[in-house]
Amino acid sequence: NIDPASLLPKLPRPEELKPFPTVCSTLFRGHEGRARSLAIDPSGIWLASGGDDGTVRVWELLTGRQIWSAKIGDGEAVNIVRWRPGKDAVILSAAAGEDIYLLVPPVTDPETDASSRELLDAGFGYATNATQALTANGARKDPAAKWTRPGSRLEDEGVLIKITVRTTVKVISWHRRGDFFSTVSPTAQKSAVAIHTLSKHLTQIPFRRLPGIPQTVQFHPSRPLFFVATQRTIRSYDLQKQELVKIIQPGARWISSFDIHPGGDNLIVGSYDRRLLWHDLDLSTRPYKTMRFHSKAIRAVKYHKGGFPLFADASDDGSLQIFHGKVVSDMMENATIVPVKVLKGHKVKSALGVMDVDWHPREPWLVSAGADGTCRLWM
Amino acid sequence: MDITMTDSGSSSSRQGQVQVHFITNSPDVELPEGKRQLLVPTNVRRYGLSQILNSESMLDTPAPIPFDFLINGTFLRTTLEEYLTANGLSSETTLNLQYVRSLIPPLYEASFEHDDWVSCVDILSRSSVAGIWDGSEVVPGQERILSGSYDGLLRVWNKSGQSIATSASSSAGGHTSSIKSARFISPTQIASSGLDRTIRVWKYTEAEDHFSAELKPILELYGHKGSIDSIDVHGPSNRILSASADGTIGLWTTLKKSAPSAPAELLTSGPSAKRRKIATSTSTPQRGPLSTIKSHTSPVAAAIFNPLDATIAYSASQDHTARTFDLTTSSLVDTRTTSHPLLALTALPGISSQLLAAGTSARHITLLDPRISAQSTQVMTLRGHTNKIVSIAPDPESNYGLVSGSHDGTCRVWDLRSSRYGTKDEGGGLVGEAVYVVERESAKGGKRPVGGEGIKVFGVQWNKDVGIVSGGEDKMVQVNRGRGVTRPDTT
Ligand SMILES: [Mg+2]
Repeated sequence: NIDPASLLPKLPRPEELKPFPTVCSTLFRGHEGRARSLAIDPSGIWLASGGDDGTVRVWELLTGRQIWSAKIGDGEAVNIVRWRPGKDAVILSAAAGEDIYLLVPPVTDPETDASSRELLDAGFGYATNATQALTANGARKDPAAKWTRPGSRLEDEGVLIKITVRTTVKVISWHRRGDFFSTVSPTAQKSAVAIHTLSKHLTQIPFRRLPGIPQTVQFHPSRPLFFVATQRTIRSYDLQKQELVKIIQPGARWISSFDIHPGGDNLIVGSYDRRLLWHDLDLSTRPYKTMRFHSKAIRAVKYHKGGFPLFADASDDGSLQIFHGKVVSDMMENATIVPVKVLKGHKVKSALGVMDVDWHPREPWLVSAGADGTCRLWM
Repeated sequence: MDITMTDSGSSSSRQGQVQVHFITNSPDVELPEGKRQLLVPTNVRRYGLSQILNSESMLDTPAPIPFDFLINGTFLRTTLEEYLTANGLSSETTLNLQYVRSLIPPLYEASFEHDDWVSCVDILSRSSVAGIWDGSEVVPGQERILSGSYDGLLRVWNKSGQSIATSASSSAGGHTSSIKSARFISPTQIASSGLDRTIRVWKYTEAEDHFSAELKPILELYGHKGSIDSIDVHGPSNRILSASADGTIGLWTTLKKSAPSAPAELLTSGPSAKRRKIATSTSTPQRGPLSTIKSHTSPVAAAIFNPLDATIAYSASQDHTARTFDLTTSSLVDTRTTSHPLLALTALPGISSQLLAAGTSARHITLLDPRISAQSTQVMTLRGHTNKIVSIAPDPESNYGLVSGSHDGTCRVWDLRSSRYGTKDEGGGLVGEAVYVVERESAKGGKRPVGGEGIKVFGVQWNKDVGIVSGGEDKMVQVNRGRGVTRPDTT
């Protein structure tokens, strides 16, 4: 009579896996209606958030003080905010409706401010000089997106570029070098996924047809690979060769989010059908581990990118779950995954709970955006 | 449970007496050898023991000195009988009572209301450094409290809470964004810094009736590329030390003539400066740093002059380190690495040598021995705050005391003589717990809100003549002070 549990590998206790966030350390209150999206800037000093009230806000991360805000959504929610990677410039991207905005919030020194503005402006010359693509019958092709100045009211506030696509943008995902970013407009069919080149003010549609409705996308952290999640699968493409590399099948019914481990060989997936899945890309196209801890949809998942073996998910049940997930160098060995903490505090509003989550670039600190209108810093 | 044992122990000692042995480290209040052993009633508390010590037959003090009593490193907060019971000791025991001058309970005195969050406070009195440096004594009753606010304004207050001066707005030469740090350099000079990445030096002139004053900007200092979250000043050498979120430390002079010119690229000009242009329309001289020290790899939370030698600086950073610099050569002398981001720093006289107290994001204070020869880095950990510790100040009347301000909405008073061994979970070592917890008067009695929302403390100072002064998210400067020292304990 052997207890089957005794055959399982012994997992370390959470206390042995410190540090990880355990308490709410700062509240960010100001959004009217839901806080939809948030992100900590590459320096780790500022928090950006966007919400149903159509505003983008920048806060002091440690104190919770709002430093700046701009109303970019005219009756429309700000669905996504993401900082451009890198410390050479301070540029925030945000989308409301079918408009993507590039902004330089007034939190930098004059030198960085100037170089940030130069980066945004450089493409205007290129766009004017570029010849417009022609369709097969010789007519001028309608560009995939329009890059314009958003007008003096917004420009005075630091909102400097407006990129208008055809339908509502839900996702912005930057390439690590900061010259490309991709956006997803799930309802746009053929042009649902777009890739934008900042230096050229150029928008391209990389896929002629997609095998489903795109949900979210991400660039690989080191290789020229691009991942596209539809409702049920995640496909990786080689951007240079323009070919499909791999089809990942998490087995979820509706994928909401995914994230690639900074090492590049592992991936976590969250789904509206309450699943959290870990894929080891070396081993299989099927998940190595499936976890069902939440009672409601998982909306966001995120790896820590600054050296801590941590990842987190955010759920409509109002909680966040923190996991220790150590990737070992051995190709054939799977990661050790231990749930270490459930963070509670966000209130569920109209069946929506935690909408987005992000990690601090260096510390084991987490931020979350809630349907209750608050953002929270957890330490 | 050994109910019978404790029961019999306490019943036999009820209204009984216990032998105590008085010891102290303060030679000026040491008892003659023959008087150190005494039989005392077991129902006495701190106050009773303090009265016994002060009595004619013992120390015979001209004015009563309030004493506190440590047994095995813990302050006596109960009757002796309760102590014996709690520790399973019989009344036959001889208790070693170490007596120390009492820490005075910091009772609430007053609050001064602001329009916005109060980020920092400083005090001018005849016992404050700026008062001492100047030589001309601050007249008792004319102590001043300086506060800096997120509204970008400095305010100077008298002890009754009357606002004597408010700094100029951004259009008249003031800060263009929130103030994060402000200090008196002398009774007539103030320095401030903040989110606008500048340090501003002000001339402070009071009217003859001392009920109004002028704060005139005399110097704008440029050189940091991030928020200047903390400054320290040294009056005798006209120096300012700054800590910035850009990861650097700046050394500056308040003397316009000796200051290098301001770095042109950091002055507000260029395409983004349109809206800020108004700010520079006044003609305050602009200058640059004497030196900039790039050493830390994350935002620097604090940089301070060594109070014993202003050519030495200490700094604390989110990069987990406390560093020592030689300011004459701008060189790094020593790095102490801790386990957590550091958010506040002060130097304490210490018990046998100087100590650094650093506030962490991990809700504790780390005490470090900055001497290179020191064997162990970490001397002691002070635990009890429930959120980030962002400000620390030394006790002006004790080498062993300090006060800390936290985002948990409290200031806590600590005495390094009171300590215990940390549990395994705390990582062992010596652990100290707060002697007093000062709540925000604005939220008194209420439950402490999640994340310290609305009551976070951002700055605290402690002065002999004024007391503990703190400022925070409740838009209040709060003054707490020990009074009624010799009253019996209520608990
Ligand atoms: Mg592997």
